[in-house]
Amino acid sequence: MKRALVCGISGQDGAYLAALLLDRGYEVVGTSRDAAANRFAGLQALGLRERVRLVSMRPGELHSVEQVIERARPDEIYNLAGQSSAALSFEQPLETFESVAAGTLNLLEALRRSGRAARLFSAGSSDCFGDTGAGVADEQTPFRPASPYAVAKAAAFWSVAGYREAHGLWACTGILFNHESPLRPERFVTKKIVAAACRIARGSRERLRLGTLAIVRDWGWAPDYVEAMWRLLQPQAPRDYVVATGKPCSLEDFVAHAFAALGLDWREHVDVEPALARPSDPQRVCGDPGRIARDLGWRAQCTMPELVDRLLAVESRACV
Amino acid sequence: MRKTALITGITGQDGAYLAEFLLGKGYAVHGIRRRVSLFNTDRIDHLYRDPHESGRSLILHYGDMTDSLALMRTVQQVQPDEIYNLAAQSHVAVSFEEPELTANADALGALRMLEAVRVLGLRGKTRFYQASTSELYGLARETPQSERTPFHPRSPYGVAKLYAYWITVNYREAYGLYACNGILFNHESPLRGETFVTRKITRGLARIVLGLQRCLYLGNLGARRDWGHARDFVEAQWLMLQQRRPGDYVIATGEQHSVREFVDAAARELGLALEWRGSGKREHALVASARGVARHLKPGAVVVRVDPRYLRPAEVEALVGDAARARRELGWQPKVKFRQLVAEMMRADLEAARRDALVARHGYGARQRHE
Repeated sequence: MKRALVCGISGQDGAYLAALLLDRGYEVVGTSRDAAANRFAGLQALGLRERVRLVSMRPGELHSVEQVIERARPDEIYNLAGQSSAALSFEQPLETFESVAAGTLNLLEALRRSGRAARLFSAGSSDCFGDTGAGVADEQTPFRPASPYAVAKAAAFWSVAGYREAHGLWACTGILFNHESPLRPERFVTKKIVAAACRIARGSRERLRLGTLAIVRDWGWAPDYVEAMWRLLQPQAPRDYVVATGKPCSLEDFVAHAFAALGLDWREHVDVEPALARPSDPQRVCGDPGRIARDLGWRAQCTMPELVDRLLAVESRACV
Repeated sequence: MRKTALITGITGQDGAYLAEFLLGKGYAVHGIRRRVSLFNTDRIDHLYRDPHESGRSLILHYGDMTDSLALMRTVQQVQPDEIYNLAAQSHVAVSFEEPELTANADALGALRMLEAVRVLGLRGKTRFYQASTSELYGLARETPQSERTPFHPRSPYGVAKLYAYWITVNYREAYGLYACNGILFNHESPLRGETFVTRKITRGLARIVLGLQRCLYLGNLGARRDWGHARDFVEAQWLMLQQRRPGDYVIATGEQHSVREFVDAAARELGLALEWRGSGKREHALVASARGVARHLKPGAVVVRVDPRYLRPAEVEALVGDAARARRELGWQPKVKFRQLVAEMMRADLEAARRDALVARHGYGARQRHE
């Protein structure tokens, strides 16, 4: 039986990844900074809380990381831990570095010192590219990170590449574009829109306030993305991949579809308030998943607008 | 009005040249140094005066790039017009052994300084220079490297400096801070640290010629670098902070030489001609002919060998910079040529070796100082 260590299992991706790994017969050990205090709402929602072993690990602390690896004796390690909000990173740049960049470095160093042949997947971010402008970003596109979070993710990416090149570690990064699910907390815009639309459809008179509708993103479905993570660890040699749908969509189209699906006209319920927009938020972020499709046969199964329908289906059940 | 500058890493090579340069321009210069149990101000002792004297232009503060509180307090006290962030664990090979310290001092150190400026409300006053490096290019995607060349760092040092580079850009764009990166290619001088390859070469050859050492051990002889003089390069650092708008600049000579060529050039300064034999880890140099101070060396004596322990886990083979933007916008050009640089370093290390030999001859143990 293969053993997987999922660092940062309490997040959206951790929960879906645990589901996938258990389904494929893995024994799953998951970490969180304080496993005793965490509610693991995601795992709970998927009914998996009792099927994984949960341990405490602080990514910024080498000794803590080393101990966990030693005890878990994993065949595969998934690095999903870390402060994951670009907006929050402006207020907490040090903590962001600590959990994202230093955390990844510690995993690499601990793995190297352990001498184990485990494979390491590290979750990269499309934020590293910044604004992709009229083009699309692939594995050759230079980084232009525009938040402390993105800069920390860029450093983590190069640490992974460095340990692979310098020390021969089996390690790779999946540069993940936005991926959504009902497990997203409401500070994420997709969840915010879907939740508000559902409440309005049920009679709420609130207004949905958004900073901008003009931004374009490449939104995927989180369960598809954890499949990509797993596939990245299966080939003979490690390689970095962009993980995206390749189907860009504007926030306006997202909003319009969400309201229309509920029989509403978004223009009657949405206020655009530029003051809410983040100054350094990129306009357009689009990925080219050509390499992962060619090499690993991965394609996003669920894309826009079906993605909105799925989010709505879960949300409206929750609203009732 | 008199300007005030704060230099982190003032005890290093660049810090010393920059302090001297700024004092010459009439600045009040403050520097941050680490507390260590040995005196570590050798390079600036000629500029430094007794703290009990009044009207001093050079003031040192204790601090450390890993200590946010100390940095914050010093920035608050000094209220600098310009900050030069030169402090770092700056040795590439060592960064493979000490990746965490390197990340903490080089990456977070820059962030801590930027945060200090932001949090203290000095955005409109203080201009910020970040010492970036050609090691960002690593496995370079094009030759020569300019401000538009994508990065591919190959060491924990390169990764930490990459973070510092982008976080500097980030604070400029997100907060409107006047902040610049100088992407400096290798820059050397007699003040370069003794464990960097150029100083290892000039120091080692001088000691061999004076009979204090038999052989010089080096790593990758084929590595090619763009070597300039630190004195020229600190001027570019200052120029970057005097513009109307902040930007990032490559600072380089545009001329490339291998480590092997550096050894040959340094040996020639001593009247020594070398012959290279073997390849890879077996490559070595022996004396082909010797005159002048080196005349007593016997032809055929092996004076340079490769020691694999100095090879890096991931090598950066070749770097050469294109400083066209700095030339155009800053009016900056390097003054010192490769040969002059090697000659100056060789002269200084020969002098130092002579001092060691003299001390030894009079029965005092000359310090051996190995890596």
